[in-house]
Order: sequence, then structure tokens, then C-alpha cells
Amino acid sequence: MKKHFLKTLLLTATLIFTSLGVSFAEPKKGGTLIAAVGNNPRHLNPAVQSGIVTGFPGAQLFATPIRYDNNWEPQPYLAESWEISDGGKTVKLNLVKDAVFHDGVPIKSSDVKFSLETIKKHHPFKTMFAPVVSVETPDEHTAVLKLSSPHPALMLAMSSQLMAIIPEHVYGDGQDPKTHPQNSENVVGSGPFKLVEFKSGEHIILERFDDFFIDGRPYLDKMVLKIIRDPATRTIGLENGEIDFYAFENVPTNINRLKKNANLNVTPDGYAAIGPIDWLAFNTKSGKTADVNVRRAIAYAIDRNFILKAIMLGVADEARTGIHPGSPYYEPNVEAYDIDIDKANKILDDAGYKKGGDGMRFGLNVDFGWPGLRPNAEYTKAALKKIGIDVTVRQSADFPTWAQTVSNHNFDLTWDTVFNWGDPVIGVHRTYQTSNIKKGVIWSNTQQYSNPKVDAIMEKAGVENDMAKRKALYSELQKMLANDLPVYWTNTLPYHTIYSNKVGNPPMGIWATSSPMDMTYIKE
Amino acid sequence: MLENEEIKEPAIKPVKEIFLTFFKSYSAVTGLMILVGIAVMGFVGPLFYPTDPFDMVWMPFSPPGADGFLLGTDYLGRDILSQIINGARVSIAIGFSAALVSCFIGVGIGSFAGFYGGWVEETLMRLTEFFQVLPTLLFAMVIVALFGSSVLSITLAIGAVSWASVARITRSEFLRIKELDFVLASRASGSNNLALIFRVILPNAAAPIIVQSALLVGAAITFEAGLAFLGLSDPNVISWGQVIGSNRIYILDATYTVTIPGIAIFITVLAISLVGDGLNDALNPKLRSR
Repeated sequence: MKKHFLKTLLLTATLIFTSLGVSFAEPKKGGTLIAAVGNNPRHLNPAVQSGIVTGFPGAQLFATPIRYDNNWEPQPYLAESWEISDGGKTVKLNLVKDAVFHDGVPIKSSDVKFSLETIKKHHPFKTMFAPVVSVETPDEHTAVLKLSSPHPALMLAMSSQLMAIIPEHVYGDGQDPKTHPQNSENVVGSGPFKLVEFKSGEHIILERFDDFFIDGRPYLDKMVLKIIRDPATRTIGLENGEIDFYAFENVPTNINRLKKNANLNVTPDGYAAIGPIDWLAFNTKSGKTADVNVRRAIAYAIDRNFILKAIMLGVADEARTGIHPGSPYYEPNVEAYDIDIDKANKILDDAGYKKGGDGMRFGLNVDFGWPGLRPNAEYTKAALKKIGIDVTVRQSADFPTWAQTVSNHNFDLTWDTVFNWGDPVIGVHRTYQTSNIKKGVIWSNTQQYSNPKVDAIMEKAGVENDMAKRKALYSELQKMLANDLPVYWTNTLPYHTIYSNKVGNPPMGIWATSSPMDMTYIKE
Repeated sequence: MLENEEIKEPAIKPVKEIFLTFFKSYSAVTGLMILVGIAVMGFVGPLFYPTDPFDMVWMPFSPPGADGFLLGTDYLGRDILSQIINGARVSIAIGFSAALVSCFIGVGIGSFAGFYGGWVEETLMRLTEFFQVLPTLLFAMVIVALFGSSVLSITLAIGAVSWASVARITRSEFLRIKELDFVLASRASGSNNLALIFRVILPNAAAPIIVQSALLVGAAITFEAGLAFLGLSDPNVISWGQVIGSNRIYILDATYTVTIPGIAIFITVLAISLVGDGLNDALNPKLRSR
């Protein structure tokens, strides 16, 4: 019945549009998309693994209750509708009736309950579903989430790769879901594509799932995700047409080079929810940077514009706060610390840091979280010399060494790239909450920043369902943080999607490739 | 001991003759002059060109010659000429120290192996072969990654992976020399083993070792640049390799930022091999008549 109805609707819509003379590219069915992935995913189950590398295949293999459009508006996906009641403490999901897993077993509300409980227990983002107390399943197609407090972040947490609906009859067999063999092999998913083969370090091959619950989708027959770590190899592959699609390109020189290619499209759109921000974090607890004057002087001495123009070669955007400029909560009217060397010197003079005979006041170390930030670290050395701070650049042997140094609070300054992950509750609060000062945990509040007023605002904003009020709270938060300056935010990491002219409708929403690509097609 | 000193000399040419042979070779003299010039530039140059190589003095990526910067500026707007001048000191220092480390390890192992023979030789030479077949760049990367990329760890890493050739040459010289009459005479007159190794045989084996070590200096400088190209350099010290390493990602947009330090390395390494060849001609008695 339903299928028939949709077909009629589609036909009518097509007739109307054609009669009105509106022309738009008709998605074509069939074809294979050759995409590149920049790293090897540990496995393909996003319910127990975070990160954009698992997110790409993960969002194709597994469906989530809802999805988002380009304007941050939630759209039906596996849940055809939802009702929020009880002041935001009850969320009812009405599931699509004819949805099945890749093995043909129907998707039931008990699978939603199982998935959420698994994610709550095993996914590293603990704040996503923390207020969810229980999931009730009054019937097979209705799941009711009961919350201890209103939780506006829930909507984003139910989208993208964050709430993959996994089959209870596969993952509920008692094995640890984090190491379940079917995370990488014979994956039984719920999304538009099913797994053909995952060869670690080489490729992931996905095939159209014919019984996908949205009729006529996906358009593609096949997706081949080639795992290519070397940026130069990927760039050349895109240039000579061996690769049709690559997301998350962030090397400025590569982006500018690929922009010149007439066969390729290069766009920064699609990353607003992932929200990657480059920043300089301070140790606010010990050493010279515990003094807010030192932090402010450093911020005045570091030229955000220089980073944008010289290091990022004009492909990144300014980020003045810890919330991504693409987010509806971004507040640009904060103290921006635009370059002012004299002011920086004056702040340090007034605070009693006198210059020694060699023109230096004191020394600081600067670390950096990954090789792409090394230019920023070298720049910091040169920039802070102008205000009499002698910076030593510390190159960590590898990522774990850096993570250990910073998470154990043995640093003065460190450059880092941190993601927003949609809602501020998921990716922003963690950096500034007093309760999240966790020794040994990277991307916790490693700055050891603590301000009860900031904690209070975040607590309030986290449960505020009214969008306007919530915006106001986050605006205040960003102003306070800019004033206390536990972190000096500089720019967005310039993630770009590169796709060949033959690719139609690439994922341009807020979640980039961490969203289903059921609408992407190959033009012929 | 007096007797020993008189008879341990035969294989060494008189110093005067060595000098004459060396300075007769145009290429060797040219090489030496270039090398001295670079060293002078590195050590005295900063007095005449005091721009700090870490200072951002101008717009990034000013091409050579533009705006009064002879070699242009790098991606942070730092003066490349100043980086070349100051980097010479560190690059040459790394080159010589790493060669010295190689020489020290190589001579130690090679001389003991050659002198004692038997299981000592077996063990030491298997070890040498192990280091010879080891992928040197990878092994050096591991060492630098483990101990952090400071000038010291880079120097030691290069030294630790490059000594195998020195050890083999030393051993073969020892095998040849230890059977010669003056060594036997020295042994008969009561010299102990250590004295035989270091005071009797080693000076006579010095020529090929010196030549090999001179070549190692050049190899070490290129090695340092190679590590820097892979991102393993000390960001707090300017060396030519570090200049290449930090500008590497801009190689397609501003090729000069990488080619200029590359040319500096090329010239230096060329000069070192010219000197090495000259030393070979001068020290090797078999080539005397050439």
C-alpha cells in the first residue's frame, strides 16, 4: 500500500514539476562511486566507535532514528515522526513500519532500545544519552525515551553516526560489542548500503540494499571506499579520475591545487555539525599560563589573520569561540584579541613580568597534537618572541605521547584540533566543565579550567528546550570563556569535500560523510 | 717502547708528501675551499648578517630577490638567507659529530674483530652485518621517535646507523696489518694487545678510515635532511634540514623555500666528497704515483 502511495506521489510531483517547466537534475539510478578514506577504520560499528573514519561507512551501513537537512532541521529517517512531551522529558519515536535489517529481520522498537543502551554503555561520548533513564517499547514500532531532565542535544545525538540502530539478534549474543566479530565482517546493518567486503588497510566495498526502507533509494549500486592514507596519493587519484569523491581534505596546499582542476568540485560545505576547531589551549592551573594576564597577552600576540592567510592559505574560516562558526549557537561578538603587540607587552609589564637582559621575560613550551599543527607551533615561537616569551617547540614522538603529556597536565601551551560533534553538550561542554577535569583523559578539560559561573550556565543551557533562550545562554557562555581565555580559538580546520563532476548530490548537510549517502548518484 | 715507535711507521707516508699530493689536486683544494667558506659563513656570518632566523621579518613567501631579501622568505615570513647562514653551523656540526660517532663505534668494533679473530670476530661481524642490512632510515626514525627529535638524538641516531662501513674497512685493514713483520716485532718486544691495537696497528690503518669518515660527514648531512623532510627535526634549532622540513608542505607553491637549502646541502656534500677523494689520493700509498 505504502509503496504504491509513494510511487504515485513521486509521479505526481514529477508531473507537476515538468509541467511547470522547472528543470532540475534527475537523480540517475545505478553506478559505482569510488571514494577515498584517509585512514583505516578500527571497525565499522559506529554504535561503539567514534570518529569520522568509522562514521563514513558506518552511516551507510546503519540507519539512525532521524537525519538532518542543510539548515539544522531534523528530518524523518528511521523514525517517520516523533513527539516531544512532558517538558522535553518524554520523546516518542514512531518507527517506519516496513524497515528491515540487511538479513531481512524487521527493525523493531526493541532494537532501538538495545542500540541506545549499547551506545550509552560503550560509546565514548557519555553526555549524548546521559539523561536517558529508560526506553519503553509499547509496541513494535514505537519507542519511548524517558529522560531525567530535558535534553535538547538528544535530537542531534539521534542523527548521523551517533545513534546507529544495530540488530539485537546479532549484537545481543553476549559478546562484548566493542570487539564483536560482526563489527567488521558480515555486518548486519539497517542503512541504505550493505557490506560486501572490508579489507583492513585496503578497501571497504558497499552494495545497494534493495529492501532499504526508503523506496527507490539508494541511487548508487555500489560504493568502493579505498583506504588511502597518503595525501599526495589521494590528490593524484582525484586529479586523474581514479577517485570520484573524498571528504575531510584539510591540507591547504592540496585544497588550492585541486580547486584549479576543472573536473573537480571543491567545497567547504557540510562540516558545520562536525565542527572542527583549531585552538591554542593553556594550562590554567600551573606555570605562568595560570595567570590570565599571560594568556591574554599571548592571545594578543598571536595573529589570527596571519594563521588564516599564511598557514591556512585562505581556505579556513575564523573561529572566535569554542563553538563552530557554522553552528546556530555561534556568538561572534566576543573579545577577539586582534593582534596588538604593544598591548600584549603592556599587559605583561603591568603584571610584573620584566624583560631580562636578553629581552626575554620567561620561557614556555608549546606542544602540538598532530603534524598538521606544527606550522602553528613554529609560528607561536616566532610570534611570542616579540613579547619576550621564549618558546620551545616540543615535538612529541607520536600521538599517544602527546596525549599522555597533555592529559596528565604536563604542558604550558598546546595546539589542538577539537570537534563540536553537533550539539554543544556533546563536544563543547567537555572542554570547560569543572567536573570533566579528568587526569589521563585526552580531550577532557585538560586546561583544568574551573569557573562555577561557567559550569552553571552550561548546566542550564544543557536542559533548555527553548531555542532562543538556549542561544542566549550559549552567547553568554562564549563571552565569559573569551574573557577567562582557557583556550585561544583561532580557526576552523579547513575540511573540504572534493568530488568529480560526475557525482550528483554529494552529502552537503551538516554531517558530511557521517550521514547516509542514499541520495548521491552518478551522472553519466 | 722506543723500538716500537721506530718500526711502526713504515706504511705511513711522510706528512709533507701527503700535503703535497693533496694540494696538487685541484678538485680537492676546491672542495676544501668551499668547505672552509661554508664553515666561516656559519660561524662568522651571523656577525655580519644579524637577522635572527626565527624572526618573522617580512611577508610570507616573498620570492628570492624581492623586497630586499636575497633568498626570499619562508611560510612564516622568516628570512631564508639568515636560515641558510645559521643553519650551516648546525648542519655541519651534525654532519661531523654523527660521522665521529660512526667512526668511534665502527673503529671500536672493526679493530677488535680484526685483531682478535675467532668468536669475537664472528659475533662482532654478524652484528655489523645486521646493521648493514637494517633499513637505516627506518631505524634512525625509530630512534628519533623514541627519544624525541632533538639535535642530540638525531646526531646519535645517524651515528648509530652508519658505522657498519667503517667497521668493515677497519677489520679488513687489521686483518692485513696484524700479520706484518713490524706488528709481530712489536708483539715480541712485549706490547700488550690494547697497545698493539691502538698504538701499532690503528695508525697504520688510519688512511682508509679517514677517507671513509670524510664521506660519512656528507652522508650524515643528507641523512639529517632526509629525517627533517619526514618531519623529524628539532623545531627549535635551525639547520638546513629543518628549513626543508618545515617548508616541505609548500613545495608546490613556493619551490624555492625547499630548493635553496637543498642546493646548500648539495654544495656542501659535493665539497666533502671532493675533499674525501683528495684525501684518498694523498693517503693511499697505492695511488701515490698517479
